[in-house]
Amino acid sequence: MTDSQSNPLAPTPNPVKTDAPPERLVRHVFWKYPIISVVLMALVAVLAATIGSPNYPKDTIAGVTKDNPGGAVMAFTQELDGTATSSGNAQEFGTGDPGQVFVLNPVRAAVPLLGPITLANFPTLQVSDVQQAVTAYDSASSDQRMTWASTYDTALGTIPAGGGAAAGAGEMGAGSVGPDFAKVGSLKGDFGPVPVLVEADVQLAQTGYLEQNLQSVDPGHSYHLVNIWLYDHPNMLATAVDQGLTDDQWGMVKERGFSVGPWYLTIPSVFHVYFPGGATGQGFVLWNLGFTLILLFVIPLVPGVRNLPRILKLYRFIYRYPTPGELDKPAFKERYGGTHGHRDVGGAD
Amino acid sequence: MDAPTHAAGNVITAEDEAQVDSLKTRVAEHGRLRSILESFAYIRPFGGMFGKIVPFYAESYWYALGGLTFLMFLFLTASGVILSLLGPFWWLTNPVGEFLKSFHYWSAQGFFFFALLHLFRVWATGSFRGRRIFNWWIGIAIFALGMGENLFGLLARGDWESQFVSMHSDNMLFIQPFFFNLFGPANFTADLAIHIAVLPVVIFALILAHIVLVRQFGMSKPLSSTTEKSHG
Repeated sequence: MTDSQSNPLAPTPNPVKTDAPPERLVRHVFWKYPIISVVLMALVAVLAATIGSPNYPKDTIAGVTKDNPGGAVMAFTQELDGTATSSGNAQEFGTGDPGQVFVLNPVRAAVPLLGPITLANFPTLQVSDVQQAVTAYDSASSDQRMTWASTYDTALGTIPAGGGAAAGAGEMGAGSVGPDFAKVGSLKGDFGPVPVLVEADVQLAQTGYLEQNLQSVDPGHSYHLVNIWLYDHPNMLATAVDQGLTDDQWGMVKERGFSVGPWYLTIPSVFHVYFPGGATGQGFVLWNLGFTLILLFVIPLVPGVRNLPRILKLYRFIYRYPTPGELDKPAFKERYGGTHGHRDVGGAD
Repeated sequence: MDAPTHAAGNVITAEDEAQVDSLKTRVAEHGRLRSILESFAYIRPFGGMFGKIVPFYAESYWYALGGLTFLMFLFLTASGVILSLLGPFWWLTNPVGEFLKSFHYWSAQGFFFFALLHLFRVWATGSFRGRRIFNWWIGIAIFALGMGENLFGLLARGDWESQFVSMHSDNMLFIQPFFFNLFGPANFTADLAIHIAVLPVVIFALILAHIVLVRQFGMSKPLSSTTEKSHG
């Protein structure tokens, strides 16, 4: 292959006084492209076969509830008292009240199918207990419901798992896992029907019923409600913190369990982590928009800035310059003559 | 495009082409290795597909980076069509599906790698000057939409990262419901539809426009230490 570039400053038989490359037209045979295509296809296939791609198994409602039932208790309770992540985002999700969607409605739908509920550390529940809890909750005022749920939520905060803080799922960087499930059944207070509803929901979540129910009631939005509930559970955020995937941990350019992330998002990540307001959605969009405007208008249009390529002379590493004597080969002259004039032609770009 | 001519202005005939395209002539011109490698490109009728008249300075791999970015787009399209036909359960659990998903992933890495190098080449050679600024803008738009494809591709992957990023980006970027709540990052169905049926179509249309303008405008004149400032 003689496609290599010679140093434009190297001595030649007829040294030129400029670094302008020859503009003589040549017949560029695109022979490289098929070969490069095959080579790149093989390279991509080898990388795919040997390194693979990110594929960390997704969470399921049953899985995280079995792994951390205390976190599920906290999620259901906070959905009832309006402090869950989904409660704050209910309007943008278009889901309606999370307390109804994730707690009450699944229980109502499951009542005809329910047998006795026997969770460890909880009293055994009969179907009639669950029915009475639903009725009591529905007939109570909204203030009464909120008081029951908030009181229960506060009580859960007094029994953190591992002795740490039982912070909410939406608290960035907390990495908490919720209350100690072994102690949940021993909590005392005026919680109304909330503990019964939560116990029934934990049972439904662990058996997989809740995930199926959330999929079926929102058929055009696969995994929509499931993901929203999983984000209410503290496991997902705690895992993200452990894996270094949150905002302040440069999570935008990382993958869980895989070393190659989206490196091309480095600049947006800088905006996100370091720039004022970049951690908010609005600030992030504005910083990126500003950067795009610089690319669109400042670099190609602003005098001085647009002259940088000519000043920096990086083009010397890009243009093909002839090797000594190459242009004087007989075949060149025979094919193209001796002219050097520029002609505006199309080609690979 | 005008037919190549001799210095005297006479159009090169087919006989002339056959002579200068002979192996002997090409060995003298390009050396033995390249002459052998490129032999297939002179076999009729394929010769017409590969032959192209370009300035000498552009016969460089740097000028192939846009084409390689498009090649990666083709890899992405081909693998993406198969992936979408067979579905997420297949690509997450079947060994062949996992391989094809990985092929798709590495093609995306290649797309951004070559696109950034191409962007650098265009900038460093001042190829955004004059009317070519329209193509610069189209190129930036393609890159920005490529970033969008990256996000929706991640959301549509169906693994743990998809779950987390869908909720995380939803929390940060999407503070209002879109299109009667039809779209939200946590909605796998919408993510997949946007990733495979909306953005790729727009990107493909822009790539076509990009290529057409490249052919319309031709190669930009080379920069040099003696280039007039008016060119810069």
